[in-house]
Amino acid sequence: MSPAGHRLRNVVFIALLVVTNTLGNLFVAFGMDAMPQFHPGQLIRYSAAILTNFWFLGGMALLILWMIAQLSMFTWADLSYVLPMTASSYAFTAILGKFFLDERISAARWAGIALISVGVILVAETPSWTHAAPPPEEHT
Amino acid sequence: MKWVWLAVTVLTSTAGDLVSAKGMLGHGEMEQFGPRRIVRLLRYIATHPLIVAGILFDALSFLSFLALLSTAELSFAVPATAVSYILKTALSHSYLGERVSTRRWIGAACVAIGVYLIAL
Repeated sequence: MSPAGHRLRNVVFIALLVVTNTLGNLFVAFGMDAMPQFHPGQLIRYSAAILTNFWFLGGMALLILWMIAQLSMFTWADLSYVLPMTASSYAFTAILGKFFLDERISAARWAGIALISVGVILVAETPSWTHAAPPPEEHT
Repeated sequence: MKWVWLAVTVLTSTAGDLVSAKGMLGHGEMEQFGPRRIVRLLRYIATHPLIVAGILFDALSFLSFLALLSTAELSFAVPATAVSYILKTALSHSYLGERVSTRRWIGAACVAIGVYLIAL
């Protein structure tokens, strides 16, 4: 893979992780909002409600995809690179909340969004793999 | 009690990420993403002891976070978990052997403080 290919793979996977994590959490939250109050005596009815809840199931599917994509990224990128890069999802969640849910963004939240952005830019300038040896080749 | 659940949440989440990442180092670099590669990746994930342990740690972390929410306000619980970025970055160096440069450390610290402020 060429250096440009490596960069593209990082960009695609960071974007995939941010989108699947943000939307996955949002969908699960939507789904939980629509659920009745939990009573241990109604476990079967509660389970049936959750297993036919489109938002919950869609959210869980996205979170499973997020987990698999993150694990595959660990085969060529550092944990200390992947984690801060994908923290931009916190900033996106706050901004989505402002546009779609009319949530107010306080001064502290704007400062948080700005700091996360600075952190992501700093980490993005570091090499994504810093182990002494290059990533091992996949066994074929 | 909330400090106990906070500690359990942060520690299990950290353990989950670190052992998962460690387990994936043995897989080899993913360069192609065709159906056969994906099936092999899924089989590797499902059968590697460290990765299975990592997923269990993540599940424990989720449950202890729910317990934390039952003993503390959301405005305490979410910002407080931002400290895990610092812990994970430190252990990425000592446990996984990553070379965390000063620039990356500053970036990770900015992200941790940013997550703290955003969730406050």
